[in-house]
Amino acid sequence: MSNATLPAGARDPGYPTERENYLTNSSGILSWVFTLDHKRIGMMYLIGVVSAFAIGGLLALAIRLHLLKPDGLLFTGAEGNNIYNQVFTLHGAIMVFLFIIPSIPAALGNFLVPVMLGAKDVGFPRLNLSSFYLWVFGALFFVSALFSSGLDTGWTFYTPYSTTTDTSVILATLGAFILGFSSIFTGLNFIVTINTMRPPGMTWFKMPLFLWATYATSIIQVLATPVLGITLLLLIAERTMHIGIFDPEFNGDPVTYQHFFWFYSHPAVYIMILPAFGIISELISVHSHKHIFGYRFIAYSSIAIALLGFLVWGHHMFTAGMSSLTTIVFSALTFTVSVPSAIKVFNWLATMYKGSISLTTPMCYAISFIFLFTIGGLTGLFLGTLATDLHLHDTYFVVAHFHYVMVGGTLIAFLGGVFHWWPKMVGKLYNETHGRIASLLVFLGFNGTFLPQFVLGSRGMPRRYATYDPEFAFLHQLSTFGALLLGVGLLYAFIVLMVSLAKGRRAPANPWGGVTLEWQCTSPPPYYNFERPPVVGDPYDFHNLEWDAENERYVMTEPERKLVPESTPDEVPAHAGGQK
Amino acid sequence: MFPAIESLAMTFPTLLADKNADFWFPIQGSSFAEEVDWVYDLILYISLAFFVPMMVFMVWCLFKYIKARGTKAESQLSHHTTLELTWSIGPSVLLVWMFVQGSISFLDMRSPPEGSYDIGLQAFKWGWTMDYGNGTFHPELHIVKDEPTKLSMRSTDVIHSVFIPAFRVKKDVVPGRYNYMWFQPTIASEQISDEQLAKLKKQNEGTAWDYDKVHTIETEDGEKEVQVTPEGYTFFDLYCAEYCGTNHSEMQTVVVVHETQADLDAWIKANSSRGEVSMEEWGELLYGRRGCSGCHSVDGSKLVGPSFKDVYGSQHGLTTGENQLVDENYVRESILAPKAKVVAGYQPVMPSYKGQLSDDDIASIIAYLKSISANASSQPAAAEAEPEAESAE
Ligand code: HEM
Ligand SMILES: [Cu+2]
Repeated sequence: MSNATLPAGARDPGYPTERENYLTNSSGILSWVFTLDHKRIGMMYLIGVVSAFAIGGLLALAIRLHLLKPDGLLFTGAEGNNIYNQVFTLHGAIMVFLFIIPSIPAALGNFLVPVMLGAKDVGFPRLNLSSFYLWVFGALFFVSALFSSGLDTGWTFYTPYSTTTDTSVILATLGAFILGFSSIFTGLNFIVTINTMRPPGMTWFKMPLFLWATYATSIIQVLATPVLGITLLLLIAERTMHIGIFDPEFNGDPVTYQHFFWFYSHPAVYIMILPAFGIISELISVHSHKHIFGYRFIAYSSIAIALLGFLVWGHHMFTAGMSSLTTIVFSALTFTVSVPSAIKVFNWLATMYKGSISLTTPMCYAISFIFLFTIGGLTGLFLGTLATDLHLHDTYFVVAHFHYVMVGGTLIAFLGGVFHWWPKMVGKLYNETHGRIASLLVFLGFNGTFLPQFVLGSRGMPRRYATYDPEFAFLHQLSTFGALLLGVGLLYAFIVLMVSLAKGRRAPANPWGGVTLEWQCTSPPPYYNFERPPVVGDPYDFHNLEWDAENERYVMTEPERKLVPESTPDEVPAHAGGQK
Repeated sequence: MFPAIESLAMTFPTLLADKNADFWFPIQGSSFAEEVDWVYDLILYISLAFFVPMMVFMVWCLFKYIKARGTKAESQLSHHTTLELTWSIGPSVLLVWMFVQGSISFLDMRSPPEGSYDIGLQAFKWGWTMDYGNGTFHPELHIVKDEPTKLSMRSTDVIHSVFIPAFRVKKDVVPGRYNYMWFQPTIASEQISDEQLAKLKKQNEGTAWDYDKVHTIETEDGEKEVQVTPEGYTFFDLYCAEYCGTNHSEMQTVVVVHETQADLDAWIKANSSRGEVSMEEWGELLYGRRGCSGCHSVDGSKLVGPSFKDVYGSQHGLTTGENQLVDENYVRESILAPKAKVVAGYQPVMPSYKGQLSDDDIASIIAYLKSISANASSQPAAAEAEPEAESAE
């Protein structure tokens, strides 16, 4: 490495050696299985959630292929409907519980939270490892439900259907129960880590927005998940002992179950989307090389969403027969959540304005995200408004809406995040051209899949239908072709990453020009993340970043900065730096 | 709404869910439809008014500010409080408007007017039974144009949901409680002429009536495509919208809107009792109408329940391990208390028809079962049941 072309005072950690690199500093399968290193745990999660996504994705393709024909294409014969019902249930359950909830917090979050914070590890490394194994264990329960007698309740397990069907509801709910603990442990760990392990100078308002998002997410995970756990236990009790809370045959009320379920599952939607907001804030700022616009508004809106998210669960039940007053109150509260979400989108656009934008693969995903998430958010207004919701509820409009938010939002942000931090995680650069082509295919395929579903829904096509009236065939076919294209795009993106492992160039410490701390350690990071304690500054201050054309990397030019900014002296955490 | 798109839609007849529908919506068949569509359009236009400029701005930024790597950004502005407050508070006003409009329409949809025409609705896996009073039940919903109609709904098993897209209404049917909904239809169904219907019947001889099938019929002014009920009425779709298991997607029925109350009364009368037809024929009608055919085949294939082919007079193994002769009493018991004796290999999912079928109805169904069973002749008990049932009428 030659330093000849570097500006004076440039700092760059260079490349890691074999011994200090977290991937190679110890070897053998056991060094992974028993690792306490948050980065390795993050990588194991990444492999886990991507595998879950692959299974869920194949099931999705099966759903779409089946719906090519009004009478069903794939699953025909006497058991056809039953098989279809199991396929969409498992698709939904796997995507929600095994992929989308853990994807960003557990996979990317585990890798990034301590590095971005400038800490050596999370607060409780052993708890962290155990939460990964709980995830594996819960996943096994799900898979065993698949191989025993299937599951056909829909991922929502609505009673009394779920208390009376003869499929493996108990196995699956136990799986979800265990996954809930995994989620709680991860959240707890991040809260403790962020509260206590920030190094000197890392005040709350010097924290990257990804950390704010993770913190808000963790609060929801810790507060809401226990409700799901209790609900699922009650469901099992109802099935086995007929205790009579949910099943009208034993004087229970099925709507009670819906209240319990959505009291968790609506906030869970924010467990899925808040971390995505965090990622997008990082991507837009770094690839526009510009200070994020409205840092405080973005940070506060994450917390606002986390809190308001607890008040709106009733909007899943507008047609269930709640009292008119309750219904109207839930509708009003629902609208309050859209404000903080809108603020974020405006801020991202303002960040791009007058920036210096590089259209890298992660930036392509960030732009797709803004487009898709905005559609997802705006279509939510049709569902929050009572008169229109009565028509649209439980139709394909809803299916399209939540896929725009969860797939167009979270999955796209996850992909953007993976591409953004991939050089950091594995120390290799991928092929930009192919990365961009893949992101374009994903974008087109996604819209092809789900745009027609809005029309299907408002024209009255109910969801969870194995067969449908022939008048809907054309729109269903469009949707299926979109899904095939989406599948190709995702596979392509996967191949781009895999090829980079074998053939990619070595990644410099800072390939994009990020200012957050993870770009100040080598790629991949050393075992304890930083050789020397990192210098903490404004995570979005791009003034001192210089492009080093010869080595194709960014370097920091200002060698020293004040450790503690005078402006906010009282915000220094009491117990800083993780010193015991 | 979008003329260009609409005419495009017309070139794809497969796009049409109901005839006369536009691109986004099914036909406006109730007094709510116009209002709901109006609120929908309001939200749509507000959304587009935000979405389009935002995306144009984003794409413009991409063209304008994509720079070579290493170029410094033109500005490092980090916040602008006035701007941020404006775009937080401004849109909120529009949100309040949407919420208020939506809630006003919703309150209308929640308050059935005094003296609405009341029809009972029972949902079960996987079918519907409408109760027109005086022991008249029918799976189709028949109502009167411009007459506020209220459904009193209950479910015998799991949660179902009544969804009539043309009326823009939906309500869950929750077991263990009554739920209500109301609407006022504004478009009457048409009825094709008797000759035309006879022709269609002939074309479809031997197969079950397919409501979805689009028939081409000739009228004075050329050809016309229609979907009709077996009685020749055009209709609106009624779907189950809450997932309820195996045949959820087949849990559909139709809504027929009569021009006048007298029409409806005539229809009810025509469907209220057996009249002159033979017991076998009436039994066969009931088998189709009352949802038996959803779960029991007559060709020997296994559906949710056992097939009726050759079942009468045969022996059935029960879940308890015992054997049961399928005779008069067993059939009757299975209709009134289906969970008492369940055939081995099946789930106890059948709803009870207690209070919904008259003695004559049950006897007719038995007669029908006999007529399709090769084992029936060996049953002398059959002959005695007939006069008894007739006297009960
Ligand atoms: C290749 C991409 C995907 C396609 C083509 C696809 C397609 C579908 C379809 C057709 C349904 C069934 C709708 C119904 O019958 O009601 C469905 C349901 C669902 N999908 Fe996806 N999906 C995809 C990806 C995802 C992802 C990534 C997630 C996770 C975030 C997800 C979450 C769900 C959920 C939660 C349901 C509801 C399941 C239920 O009704 O119980 N999907 N999807
Ligand atoms: Cu149903």
